[in-house]
Amino acid sequence: MSFLSPLFLFGLLAAALPIAIHLIRKETPPKMVFGTLRFLKNTSKKLILFQQIQQWLLLLLRAAVISLLVFAFARPLFDGAIASLVDAAPESSVILLDVSMSMRYGERSEQARAAAQDLLAGMSAGDEVAIVAFGGSALQVRELSTDLDGARAFLDGLPEPGYDVTRYMPALRLANDLLESARHEARTVHLISDFQASGMGNDDSGWVMSAGVRLNPVDVGEGPTRNLLLTDVRSPDQLIENQSEYEILARVRSTGSVHVDQAEVRLLLDGVETARMPVNLTDLSEEVVRLPAVFDTAGTHRGEIRVGTDDFAIDNSYFFTVDVMAKVRVLMVNGEPSPNWYEDEAHWLGLAIGGTAESPFVLTRSTPRELDAALLAQHDVVVLLNAGSDLNSTQAGALNDFVRAGGSMLLAPGDRVAAGPFNLLFSAISPAALDQPVRLAAGDYLLIADIDQRHPVLLPLGTDWGVRFEGYWAATAAADADVLMQFDNGSPALLERAVGQGRVLLFASALDTEWNNLPLQGLYLPFAHESLRYLAQATEKERAYRVGDVIDLTTAVAEDATLTITDVAGVSTQLLAGDRLLTATTAGFMNIDDGDSVQFYAVNPDPQESALARIAPSALQDAVTNPETEPVQSEDVRTAQLIAEIEGPQRAWWWLLLLVMLMLLAETRVANTTYR
Amino acid sequence: MTSNTTFIDPTVLSSLDNLELRARVVVEGFVSGLHKSPHRGFSVEFTDYRHYYRGDDMRHVDWKLYARSDKFYIKQYEDETNVRCYVVLDSSASMGYASGAMSKLEYGRTLASALAYFIMRQRDAVGLITFDEKVNEYIPALCRQPHLIRILRVLAGLSAGARTDVVRPLSDLASNLNRKSMVILISDMLEDEEQIIKTLQRLRSMGNDVIVFHVLDDAELHFRFQEATEFIDAETRESFITQPQSIRDAYLENLGKYLEFCKKQCQSSGVDYCLLNTSQPLDTALYSYISRRARSF
Repeated sequence: MSFLSPLFLFGLLAAALPIAIHLIRKETPPKMVFGTLRFLKNTSKKLILFQQIQQWLLLLLRAAVISLLVFAFARPLFDGAIASLVDAAPESSVILLDVSMSMRYGERSEQARAAAQDLLAGMSAGDEVAIVAFGGSALQVRELSTDLDGARAFLDGLPEPGYDVTRYMPALRLANDLLESARHEARTVHLISDFQASGMGNDDSGWVMSAGVRLNPVDVGEGPTRNLLLTDVRSPDQLIENQSEYEILARVRSTGSVHVDQAEVRLLLDGVETARMPVNLTDLSEEVVRLPAVFDTAGTHRGEIRVGTDDFAIDNSYFFTVDVMAKVRVLMVNGEPSPNWYEDEAHWLGLAIGGTAESPFVLTRSTPRELDAALLAQHDVVVLLNAGSDLNSTQAGALNDFVRAGGSMLLAPGDRVAAGPFNLLFSAISPAALDQPVRLAAGDYLLIADIDQRHPVLLPLGTDWGVRFEGYWAATAAADADVLMQFDNGSPALLERAVGQGRVLLFASALDTEWNNLPLQGLYLPFAHESLRYLAQATEKERAYRVGDVIDLTTAVAEDATLTITDVAGVSTQLLAGDRLLTATTAGFMNIDDGDSVQFYAVNPDPQESALARIAPSALQDAVTNPETEPVQSEDVRTAQLIAEIEGPQRAWWWLLLLVMLMLLAETRVANTTYR
Repeated sequence: MTSNTTFIDPTVLSSLDNLELRARVVVEGFVSGLHKSPHRGFSVEFTDYRHYYRGDDMRHVDWKLYARSDKFYIKQYEDETNVRCYVVLDSSASMGYASGAMSKLEYGRTLASALAYFIMRQRDAVGLITFDEKVNEYIPALCRQPHLIRILRVLAGLSAGARTDVVRPLSDLASNLNRKSMVILISDMLEDEEQIIKTLQRLRSMGNDVIVFHVLDDAELHFRFQEATEFIDAETRESFITQPQSIRDAYLENLGKYLEFCKKQCQSSGVDYCLLNTSQPLDTALYSYISRRARSF
């Protein structure tokens, strides 16, 4: 409700006048000596009470009369009527409705929908409106239309916020584009959001909306927030079966406007709680919690870390998977057994990967002659040491099939390998074609000069390779191979090639001391382990994905299988053969069933949405509003202007009413003092 | 009779300062009206003759009858009944209330003087007792002209006194009466009416005739006040603020119960009860007296 003459509301003070007159006047009634009071005092108390009620009723009536007069003076107007006058000019507008994950905090989503409905309710026939539900991008769009009922129905049909991140700029750009074709001059973008600071992203393009387009921010994110966030979780990606105890690190942070200083973190493995640790954030903004875990059985383990109760439960869990493989079965084919152990590559590699019972590898030694498809089928990785050129085509074909079917191979050609036959037999799978063996002059040597530090094999090894190479194979990398290390003369030292579902690594030197001193270095064992572990990994599956990530299932499942994907809510979808890209849409574990086995994939919300810090709506407004756009006038301002326009020309009336009111007050005064 | 009411209208009477004159106006006006009334011939006329006996007062011999019959006959008059009347007048503070020309005390004083005048005129003995919470004046009942002057003088000097105690003077009177008398109580009886009635009943049981002139002011009887007023009890000085309009019905209901009680109790005890409004003429009171006098003697 608004008032045309709100200053008159001060006149409500006049309602106190009858009371004041009553109190001030309070004249002593005339005294009269009477014969006796016995008949007076015996009158019913109810009568006296009724008499007092009458007096108060009279007083209230007088006060009410004055109050109603004051209200009449103030000339109330109902908001609906004002709104229809204020919004008389037709308008084109776009309602941007934030449906990102942060809108699931508290009742923000309901408030946002109510605000949108209010906006629609305030529109008049002839206004056109578009609705855009957005997160990281526009999720659902209803283009400009004058069908307001349709807009309401569209709004009602929008799904609840999911796990999307917030990005304002794409939505604002889309709204601006929609308004380019608007039929009315008045153009407004109503942005209904919680104005999460992360929604600004890294946009520094300086883009502004078109001239004349106003931004009306509708803030539904006010109020204190309490939230605990698992900003980072470190868990092992893929393990090889062992009895070791691992530590899972969880970094907990309070991200709401109200600091949460006490919480508890729990670790659940395969749905069973295995560890629980308190979190004390009294003096810290975040704390790292270490949770012990043992993965002693092969298979995929589903892990979940839960942090204690807060007001935003959706981000209280972090999901991850740990694939524990059985011990890697390694077939080592030695092409140059040597009586001198230090010149025997199999000796050194055998020491590195099969030395102890706790080794994650099961090593089988073989000669080139023994190599066949049956033997290959029993192993995960084949290592050809100084072997290759002496294999026949059948064996080469078996190796080719083995690799393409998902097996892996490490090639370490030595001085016994002949380049021609080798290239001929392995051209389809070798990462490089061997050119010639190179023996450097005495005292001369090569060093590793270039390392792909991001490669899983080399990442844990660091860059401090002090190995001296006196001999090596000059090789030409295959077109589809990656050079992971180079000698300082530019020749490739370690190459990788993906073949079918398998991988092949080629080390362009020897794994014994004949060509280099690598076996004598501390790097030898980790290099061997990481290489074989990498080769044994069947897929590129990650321990955890984020909502919105595209998961490539190409190497994870058979090409011709139809996949059934079931999310945490139990909703199943199918992925046909040939379609192996899956977009993660919900947080939790996804089950991917290819008919033979079930694989689990962990998906988490984007932590950006858990950061509940806000930006001032006016800051966003200033940032995107075109300088040529006239300043936005609030509805209150427009209402005040309209009231002034309506009220101004007819100002005389209230002097008359004021006179009437004064006369009424005088009447009250006189009536109270007149002898009856 | 109606033509004479102007002479005894309280408003007119109040302009007469001389109480004797006032009494005379009342009584003469009243008596003159009686000639036309059905009560004519009572009391003041002689009633019979009897033979003369030795020792009779020779002044009462009817000499005209002796001339016609040559026998001595003695005239017998009403005064020979030798009635003694006591006018008991309440002069308490409450009697001082007046909403009109005359206060209750003034009205009662006029009534008392008129009665005294009237009684003396009938050759009855009349006495006077004035009281408030105690007996202030006591004049024994006599039937002589100077005695009336004394009564009128006392009445003239009467003023409203303190609180009322009707029971005590009546009890004293009852104790002192040694022969059948008529007791006329003029009071507003704004006291414990039950005790008053009991005392009156006692007087009545002793063979006395009792007349109660219950004098109340017109305002007390009708309570026609309009504006909020602080009423102060004339005797206790207690005050009570009220809006009379709103409690008028309740007041009248209470008053009616009180008056009804007084009336019924008096009637059941053989006490003549006469409610007098100070705004009304006094002849009502005189009629009541005459009626009672006729029935008793």
